Amino acid sequence: MNKSDELDDTGRRNFLVKVTSVVGGVGVAATCVPFVASMNPSSDVLAKAETEVDLSDITPGAMRTVAWQGKPVFILRRTPDQIKSSSASNGGSDPEPDNKRVQHPEWLVVVGVCTHMGCVPNKEEPGWTCHCHGSQYDDSGRVIRGPAPKNLEVPPYRFVTENKIIIGKA
Amino acid sequence: MKKFMTLLACCCFASSALASEAKLEAVKVGVDLQTVARGVDAVMNSCHSCHSLKYIKYHDLVNLGIDKSVVDTWRGDQPMDSAMLAQMSESDAVQAYGKAPPDLSLMAKARDGGASYVYSYLLGYYITPEGMSGNHIYPATKMPDILGISGITDEAGRAEAQGKARDIVSFLAWAADPDEQTRHKLGYYVLGYLFVLTFLLYLVKNQVWSKLK
Amino acid sequence: MPNRIIKWIDQRFPLTSFVKHELTGYPTPRNLSYWWNFGFLAGFVLMLQVATGIFLAMHYKADVALSFDSIQHIMRDVNYGWLLRYMHSTGASAFFFVIFVHMARTLYYGSYRAPRELLWWTGQGLLLLLMATAFMGYLLPWGQMSFWGATVITNLFQATPFYGEQVVIWLRGDYTVGDATLSRFFALHYLFPFIIIGAVIVHLVALHSVKSSNPSGIDLAAKDNIPFHPYFTIKDLYGLGLFLMVYCVFVFFMPNSLIEPANNIPANPMQTPNHIVPEWYFLPFYAILRSVPNMVGGVVAMGLSVMMFAFMPFLDRSRIPGGAHYRPIYRLQFYLFMLDMLVLGYVGYVPPTSQTMLIGQIATLCYFASFFLVPFISKVEERWLIKRGLPPQLMALMESESAGIAKRKLKPQRRKGDMA
Repeated sequence: MNKSDELDDTGRRNFLVKVTSVVGGVGVAATCVPFVASMNPSSDVLAKAETEVDLSDITPGAMRTVAWQGKPVFILRRTPDQIKSSSASNGGSDPEPDNKRVQHPEWLVVVGVCTHMGCVPNKEEPGWTCHCHGSQYDDSGRVIRGPAPKNLEVPPYRFVTENKIIIGKA
Repeated sequence: MKKFMTLLACCCFASSALASEAKLEAVKVGVDLQTVARGVDAVMNSCHSCHSLKYIKYHDLVNLGIDKSVVDTWRGDQPMDSAMLAQMSESDAVQAYGKAPPDLSLMAKARDGGASYVYSYLLGYYITPEGMSGNHIYPATKMPDILGISGITDEAGRAEAQGKARDIVSFLAWAADPDEQTRHKLGYYVLGYLFVLTFLLYLVKNQVWSKLK
Repeated sequence: MPNRIIKWIDQRFPLTSFVKHELTGYPTPRNLSYWWNFGFLAGFVLMLQVATGIFLAMHYKADVALSFDSIQHIMRDVNYGWLLRYMHSTGASAFFFVIFVHMARTLYYGSYRAPRELLWWTGQGLLLLLMATAFMGYLLPWGQMSFWGATVITNLFQATPFYGEQVVIWLRGDYTVGDATLSRFFALHYLFPFIIIGAVIVHLVALHSVKSSNPSGIDLAAKDNIPFHPYFTIKDLYGLGLFLMVYCVFVFFMPNSLIEPANNIPANPMQTPNHIVPEWYFLPFYAILRSVPNMVGGVVAMGLSVMMFAFMPFLDRSRIPGGAHYRPIYRLQFYLFMLDMLVLGYVGYVPPTSQTMLIGQIATLCYFASFFLVPFISKVEERWLIKRGLPPQLMALMESESAGIAKRKLKPQRRKGDMA
């Protein structure tokens, strides 16, 4: 075997080995997909991604807690007084106007998970208080005192009829 | 060693041939949406009052492609993600038939012969000389002849019943193995890929080993 | 940079020398056929089973009220759950298939003979561990076959002298196979693969101390050994590609052919299915169990039938080296044994009738006879072959082999010297 033959042979082999390695590597990576995907929420969990709530039996001033994706969602039917006091200010450390946080001034829908460390705040007039670390929220769910960095999250929801909302789909 | 492999292969075929001992009418289930949709309609009208399909949820039917308004009439006020439980309670069924009707979610996989068993069973009713209803495939059955096959005498009526049985079985086959189509599709890709990879490995192997000579 | 890291490690841990001696540079006979691929395949399937098993365990629930439903949850709701489950259920069959071929190769080529007895016995231990793991895993779906299979197999321990009844109850943790049984089987099914991995390491250490056998049955001279890498890494990978194609045909197109239909019915302790059969890989042993009319005798016979392979190094006294390669009668005997296994498998599959019982009993006798007759047949064969005249090359080897294992081990060096 002369030198040029040898070079040619190694060159060709290297190319073939490279192609095979790439094809094999793609296969190994593709095999990982079902394993990784199996750890994502399964379809029965995803089916819980939407919650339908009938609002007709909530009286003004009353609050209802419903589960959405396993998390509590506060639905507060605000009285004219509560609406008035909420729209009067922009909240505390995370200012946001009240009309940006509601679709209908009468109905406040917020995720009941404190934005600080994930505890569930209690309804303590006015607004909510989180007993884990003392954060306080007003009747628009905005943080007014304490360590919480953000206002209570407003989940995506829409009114299907006047008295029925679906949480989970905007 | 090669002989051993051939023998083993022969044995595998022999055992699969042995699996169906009862004389079953073979059926090729339909996988198209129309057949399965007719099947689910027939099951909802003829079977679902007594039999549950507890591993199927109503939204599975919508995902399959059944019209949502039709599914809404079946589910009534139950939520979309509730299981398709029987309309009749189990205790009522036990009172009426002596035992609880089996769940149908896995029926097309749970008998030797699979879908062909269910098909043959549905068409296996006849009138005994004593005037009672009997079944060739499952003599101890408590289920009434839902297709009325034992009363059918003309060819056209029989063909219609066969068509309906095939629809039902097609739906039950889907219910027992809803991912079959996905699995087959993925299977072709995987095999195609493995073919390419194995061929490349074969080339590399030849090249590596050619150095030895 | 990578070189510096490797150097740093090498000063503290023999990484490079280990890889060189035991993996890449491991001397392997150049004449190994494709039958020698199956050991690597067994290791691969083990890893596949561990990987799919761990991910399945994330969704499985070991509780009599929940386990059947949780399998359906995996099959229907979990993303790619059906794929993981079918890979695992098909993988069990693939594991036994690969192991059976691996064992058949060892028997055919006489790889169990000195100095590889310990290698063979660690393999025998691995077979028992694999059988135990597969059996316990089969209970987990909590179908009718799972339940009645576990009931029958745990009942085998009634054959224990004096304490039979207590042992069975202790194994189950209940009077019948129940919630306690399911939970402990799940715990052990998760544990055993790791014991198997440990035993595989012992198996490999034994292999690397005596080196691979080869189709000729005679250890090759050092010049005929080639490094494992790249020759056998690529050959094993090519074999793996072929194996995966067959495996994927089962996983994607006929996964239910390896699952008994009755296992799609939830376990019912009040009603036994008309025809209960074990998985295909247990059928020959199950047939032996059924062939012996006495219960204790049947259990002993079945246990012995699995353990018989371990006696092969003692039974095969022939001075002709290797297995079937130079020994026509042994070769015939090997094929008859394979045929007998298939007959037993068939008898184990069909429902027992007086006819199949008789066939099963004859096949059981043949099974044990083919082991116990090995010493006599191999002696007669040896005398006949010597009288007929052996190839001169073989004669020389036989003389050196009869001098003992110690000398045999030195042979490669001596032959190398001859060549020089």
